[in-house]
Amino acid sequence: MKILLAEDETDLADVVSAMLSHSGYTVDTVSNGLEAVEKARGDAYDAILLDIMMPVMDGLAAVAEIRKSGNTTPVLFLTAKTEVDDRIAGLDAGADDYLTKPFAMGELLARVRAMTRRHGQYSPRIVTLQDLTLDTSKSELTCRNSISLAIRETRLMEQFMNNPEIAFSTEELLEKFWLGEDSADADAVWMYISFLRNKLKAVGSSLVISGETGGAYVLTQGVAV
Amino acid sequence: MESIYNGYEKKLHEIAIRVTERIRDYGSTFSDKTGKKLFEHLSWRIKTEESMRSKCIEDGLPLTAHSALKEIHDAIGIRIVCLFLNDIHNNIEELRKLPGCTVIEEKDYIGAAKPNGYRSYHLILSVEDDEPDIDGNTPGTYFAEIQLRTIAMDTWAALEHEMRYKKDIRHPELISAELKRCADELAACDVSMQTIRDLIRS
Repeated sequence: MKILLAEDETDLADVVSAMLSHSGYTVDTVSNGLEAVEKARGDAYDAILLDIMMPVMDGLAAVAEIRKSGNTTPVLFLTAKTEVDDRIAGLDAGADDYLTKPFAMGELLARVRAMTRRHGQYSPRIVTLQDLTLDTSKSELTCRNSISLAIRETRLMEQFMNNPEIAFSTEELLEKFWLGEDSADADAVWMYISFLRNKLKAVGSSLVISGETGGAYVLTQGVAV
Repeated sequence: MESIYNGYEKKLHEIAIRVTERIRDYGSTFSDKTGKKLFEHLSWRIKTEESMRSKCIEDGLPLTAHSALKEIHDAIGIRIVCLFLNDIHNNIEELRKLPGCTVIEEKDYIGAAKPNGYRSYHLILSVEDDEPDIDGNTPGTYFAEIQLRTIAMDTWAALEHEMRYKKDIRHPELISAELKRCADELAACDVSMQTIRDLIRS
């Protein structure tokens, strides 16, 4: 799983990042809100940890900006004890949880686990992107036509539609959608990408998934025929 | 009561058999070459007197042989049922090349299914004939509607047809919604099976 950490206190950022990496997460660290917004736009994260007091753009403005783009990634605020108003404002701006400094690393990890576990329930059932609509509760993909998707196809499609123009490597997809399935390999991913490509075509969407066998895949606007 | 086809029934049968034979011919050529079948089932029918009369009334046309043979284009209906989606497109390519026939209209209900979930590819062939037709033109011109679909689409259409002509169905909205869901699931299977075939063959 991939986590974005925005914290301007270098020492704290280093400790948190090391802890998370040690627990198996991939961590990208930035030092202000603006960088966090840009990172969140360019990459798909499973959770975002934001400090409130940061230079250039604070955590409050950053979470508002991230939510404005339709991004539903869980956000955890790291706040100083005195910032009660900020905590309220933060939750109202779209954060999912907060943790007051100083905090125990064990608690931070537990909250990250809880947040990423819950995410599925909070994501919208209907995802739309340009001409395409995905109803995750009915596993149905619709454009000019509608077609049913298998459960894994639905989850993959949801990931792509929530992160258009972002490339996912075969390894990332295997780790996220074939977790614990020893027999799954690049061919399994390729087969599901092929299913989704042909289903996008079957519903008449202008969106395509580009990429080669074993490589990275990205949902993007197809070339007009 | 005089037939709405006014003596042209025999001609319609003749044309239907002739076109069907040509379809069978390109099918055999294809299987001789590749060892694979281009279609599974091939059938034809002439629209019944009764259906033709109701269609004329529905379309606001006079009950004449001219309406039945010239204005309405599905007096002859031919159905080609295939195993895989791509076979449908291969058949369409062959139909475009049929001697003495011209594709004059196409409706792609696979690319854009009907709201109830109906999927098939319809095309109208205009077929030339040596003898004069009802309008006195030589060569004569007849029309045939070709329906192309997969076995899955064919099964669905059979069920939908059964439902449509059955009276007093309980929960018709529920049945329609479930039929629509079946259509989308079958379409998903057709796409998945075509994809797997492509992967196997690549």
